[in-house]
Amino acid sequence: MLSTKHSRVSIILVCFILGFMLAVQFHSTQNTLKSSTQYQRAEELSQRLLQIRHERDALKKQYAAQLKSPDKLSSAAVIEAGASAVEGPGLVLTIVDSDKKALADENVNLYVVHDEDMLRIVNELRAAGAEAIAINGQRVVATTEIRCAGPTISVNNERSAPPFQIKAIGNTETMENALKMRGGVIETLGVWGIKINMKAEKNINIPAYNRVNNFKYAVPVEKGDNK
Amino acid sequence: MIFAIISLILGALLGYFCNITIPAEYSKLFSVALLAGLDAVFGGLKAVTLKTFDNVNFVSGFFVNILLAALLIYIGDNLSIDLYYVALFVFGLRIFKNMSFLRHYMIKK
Repeated sequence: MLSTKHSRVSIILVCFILGFMLAVQFHSTQNTLKSSTQYQRAEELSQRLLQIRHERDALKKQYAAQLKSPDKLSSAAVIEAGASAVEGPGLVLTIVDSDKKALADENVNLYVVHDEDMLRIVNELRAAGAEAIAINGQRVVATTEIRCAGPTISVNNERSAPPFQIKAIGNTETMENALKMRGGVIETLGVWGIKINMKAEKNINIPAYNRVNNFKYAVPVEKGDNK
Repeated sequence: MIFAIISLILGALLGYFCNITIPAEYSKLFSVALLAGLDAVFGGLKAVTLKTFDNVNFVSGFFVNILLAALLIYIGDNLSIDLYYVALFVFGLRIFKNMSFLRHYMIKK
């Protein structure tokens, strides 16, 4: 009975319509899936990723353009701004949490490295004439923060956990003496068992500051405008 | 049979690339209509195996079932009677029954 021409046409028609309906339904279901929150979240994240990539590329271009036409910054300014990697003789400090056991009635916090300890060390190094400092590979510049971030320390908004490594270029002897001074940083931290290993090296490399600061509020004043 | 499958695939392709999306308020009607269509086709298949296939019956059954199912659901929605589930149940049951019949038939053959 299938062979009659009429029924063949009708079967083809019916199957065609059925297939059409199936596909439309499938398509609609897919679209409703797309409006679900999880899907939207993924979409949003990928959008953001794209946007940030664009931003990064734009900044790269800006950076390259600026490299090509430098405003004749003095090398002192370049080093101070952390605009390029620097090398020279200096100290490499490694700071490790204490492995002493805290007594029952003592605060465990005293035995770990804090942002304040790092600040003291960096401050001491600067006072001793360090010219470039990096903490765990993050260049310390004027806008750099050293901040407690839970169990980690955030430097240039980059978190890192102990052991911390501080590299400082400068007069090795002065810096060493400044740190080892009586009642100085190493002694006070040593009370709690926090170990600071110091190594003087002939040539250490400190990376450039890897962020772009957009100064929104501070505007430079021309020299002649000073009142 | 081959014509049927080819036309099914063609229809599916057309439907997919037409980019039609059923609005949410009609999705219920459409899904039931789809189920009715599937039921009619399986019923047709069964009729073919039983050699009782009737062209007019098949085509009219397909369209009328689809429209009737959608209409019933629509009316049910307006009267706040959930005929949707009833239709799902009936058509689903019949599809399964027909499929098992087809399976039996194939095994016997």
